[in-house]
Amino acid sequence: MTTGRSVVVLSDGVRGDREAIAQALRSLAGVTSVLHMADMGSQERDPGTAASPEAIVFQTLGVAVLECDPAQLSAMHRAADDPGAAILAVEPERVMRAIETEPGERAAPIADDEAFTWGLRATAVDAATATGRGVRIAVLDTGLDLAHPDFAGRSITSQSFVVGEPVHDGHGHGTHTTGTACGSADPPVGRRYGVAAEAEIFAGKVLNDAGFGTDASVLAGIDWAITSACQVISMSLGADIREVSTVYETVGRRALAAGTLIVAAGGNNASRSIGNLGFVGVPANSPSIMAVAAVDANLRVADFSAASNPVAGGQVDIAAPGGDVYSSWPMPQRYNTISGTSMATPHVAGLAALWAQTSGLQAQELWDALIGSAQRLDLPATDVGVGLARAPAPD
Amino acid sequence: MRQLVTVTVDAAHAGALDAVARRLGDVGFDVDQVLAALGVITGTVDEARLALLEGVEGVAGVEPQRGFQLAPPDSDVQ
Repeated sequence: MTTGRSVVVLSDGVRGDREAIAQALRSLAGVTSVLHMADMGSQERDPGTAASPEAIVFQTLGVAVLECDPAQLSAMHRAADDPGAAILAVEPERVMRAIETEPGERAAPIADDEAFTWGLRATAVDAATATGRGVRIAVLDTGLDLAHPDFAGRSITSQSFVVGEPVHDGHGHGTHTTGTACGSADPPVGRRYGVAAEAEIFAGKVLNDAGFGTDASVLAGIDWAITSACQVISMSLGADIREVSTVYETVGRRALAAGTLIVAAGGNNASRSIGNLGFVGVPANSPSIMAVAAVDANLRVADFSAASNPVAGGQVDIAAPGGDVYSSWPMPQRYNTISGTSMATPHVAGLAALWAQTSGLQAQELWDALIGSAQRLDLPATDVGVGLARAPAPD
Repeated sequence: MRQLVTVTVDAAHAGALDAVARRLGDVGFDVDQVLAALGVITGTVDEARLALLEGVEGVAGVEPQRGFQLAPPDSDVQ
């Protein structure tokens, strides 16, 4: 909405010079009656009650507000196009309103439905056209049920880094996280739960069937993923250690330099309902590794989700769905619904693959794309970082 | 007492990991893996010789290995 008056921006050559301004307004717009705000005492500085001059000049700003007829307006527009003129620009005067603060509406919880999990709805994967095609995601976990029917026909490269155990997932955790990151767009049974449904899957078993692993197997898995040219590594694992590890920080930086983004679980060591906020541990507390927090279906931080750790790099970077997440599970159970920052992490890894596909970005630039596109939440950054990771908009 | 250890190799020796591994062997380090893409070497060493590793040419850092333990498969939070 505009007032019918015009706002004129004066050049720096005349700004602050009342005579030059008056001359410019006279010659360009035929204005003779000018109110100089600099002449007004503070009690009187109310342009609305002043006798109506043709122009009001804010000398220090180099701005004038005036009423003019169409011929004068077009003369000023012509002048503004001349780089040597006293006028830089002419714009219609707008009506401003106070920005009202509206009470925040409490969104209804998002729920799993027939077609999608709540997590895919919340992160806009339900509307996305990107599929992760051509992008390689390594999931370093307890392995994968390679005979799971939901993964039939998929491109899967797998390797075990656990001595004496094959890739097969005898725990369940790895099949669940792989399902979230890379599960099918159209599973034969039930709703869709996978983010990057056409990504190439690299399943690295670095934790044994009892869910235990050491640095040696985790690092071997990262080395394999980088050597295999995976753009994204998903690691739903961590240790409750505050201090940043030189090894993981160095490895995270070298991975980025090689084109690989590592995403890791922030950790489940909080019990927020009893006042324990927890802390982000190794390896997610490395500055070069993206730390993921978990939110529930009300987009509130999950009770168990660790808060930022005050050591440099120990912050939560981003959040993703991690409460009551439905995904694949070793047969014959086939599906399971569980919670954890372990479940939030593969959402971010899958979303990273979608961004890598649509933008061609990788490593630090891919990290920046995820951070820049995240949906801001009305929650402390120490709990959820920049907010909820989101899929790229559809084509 | 044997200790599982991870050695980070400095960037200047990224192309000479095998030489660093040999020098680590010379001070009693038993090499398990040489991870070329990471510039990291894992292995074991007697606790009494742990301090010697830091002094080996090309070594940027030495850390005892950690363990990672997931919750059991039937837990609600994992």
